[in-house]
Amino acid sequence: MPEHAEFERRVLVHLDAGYNLARWLAHDARDAEDVVQDACLRALKYIGSLQGEDGRAWFLTIVRRAFYDWLARNRPALLLHDDESAVDALADEADGPEQALVRKTERLALVEAVAALPLIFREVIVLRELEQLSYKEIARIAEVPIGTVMSRLSRARRLLQASAPLRALDGRAEGREP
Amino acid sequence: MKCDEVAPLLAADADGEVDSLRSHAIRKHVAGCAVCGPRQRALLELQQRLRAELPRHAAPAALRARLRSEHSPAAARPPAPELRWRWFGAGLLTGSLAAGLVWAASLALGPVGPGDDLSGRVVGRHTQATLGQHLVQVASSDQHRVKPWLSARLDYSIPVSDAAQAGFPLVGARIDRLDGRPVATLVYRRRDHVIDVFVRPDATAAGPPAVHAVRGFNVAAAKGADMEWLAVSDLRGAELEAFLQGLARGEVGPPPE
Repeated sequence: MPEHAEFERRVLVHLDAGYNLARWLAHDARDAEDVVQDACLRALKYIGSLQGEDGRAWFLTIVRRAFYDWLARNRPALLLHDDESAVDALADEADGPEQALVRKTERLALVEAVAALPLIFREVIVLRELEQLSYKEIARIAEVPIGTVMSRLSRARRLLQASAPLRALDGRAEGREP
Repeated sequence: MKCDEVAPLLAADADGEVDSLRSHAIRKHVAGCAVCGPRQRALLELQQRLRAELPRHAAPAALRARLRSEHSPAAARPPAPELRWRWFGAGLLTGSLAAGLVWAASLALGPVGPGDDLSGRVVGRHTQATLGQHLVQVASSDQHRVKPWLSARLDYSIPVSDAAQAGFPLVGARIDRLDGRPVATLVYRRRDHVIDVFVRPDATAAGPPAVHAVRGFNVAAAKGADMEWLAVSDLRGAELEAFLQGLARGEVGPPPE
């Protein structure tokens, strides 16, 4: 069965990357396992379509989709909160909602601040900083244009920089209490 | 370049997405700019902290085993050698609570086996790890995953290279304790042999002893990159020593970036 050998060689080697993404998105270890399990089933099914391309980006794309499907089935309310248009509206409106997000991340340690980011920001941060993927690869995995990847990264970083421990590093905060 | 040109490019530059010519121009501007300078520093600091502090969650061993048995033609071929020893150990532990307790106790008590010398202690760590289910805590052949994983958990950073091209694929890494301090352990494979490589800051002035045998295992030592390197395996002594020397001198695998 060549698919199984391929699965081992091209998918299972990226299991840690896939699980890490699922875990950061789902927060919970058990939920992440469910997502990864589903993603592996899909990967096995479509492995024939994987040509010479990078298996990691391909598998991460599948994990991400599996996660959003899982979310729609199990936590539809969360999906609603993370709707793209809702978050995009934040930046355009006056300071209101974005300020609220800044306040939310303000007092958290860095890891908690990342965990508290809205999904569409969290996923680009994990893909960029933990997987060190290029904008192009992230765009493909997150299924958005490169410009969107850049603007999401930029806003995610702005939110994280608002978290307290980082503020101490910021030049503007010199002289303040740590 | 001017501020209004540079500002939107700072993030892309920090992410390595700007060509070298423009990157050079950005650096020149930032060096003398009181607005872009702090902005760039804040960006780089955030990036550095994220990479150092965010945990990478490795897939649980049980999940990996389940996926493998579900989706691999296990009946058609024997498990790969590296699995045989890993799951052999896991089976022993889960199969018998008593065995698990004994193993946990041996971990808690520290070194096992006769002799209090360093070689005896690293051989003890090696046998514990190969028999238990914690051979690696991060399973990856990618040096760019293993190195930051270790750096995030130690107060020193070590060079990590996959030596697959030389026939020594990197399996992963774990953190052990040696002399009361956490130490980086890189795990490599050579055919059916597991090789543990312990790496820690060089604290001793003595030259490395020749490769020698301890309880049936070969132990080799080397120095390089300001680190002390100790390798343990049931691999032939000469082969183990040659591999370790190359590793310590950074001569195996692709050059670290």
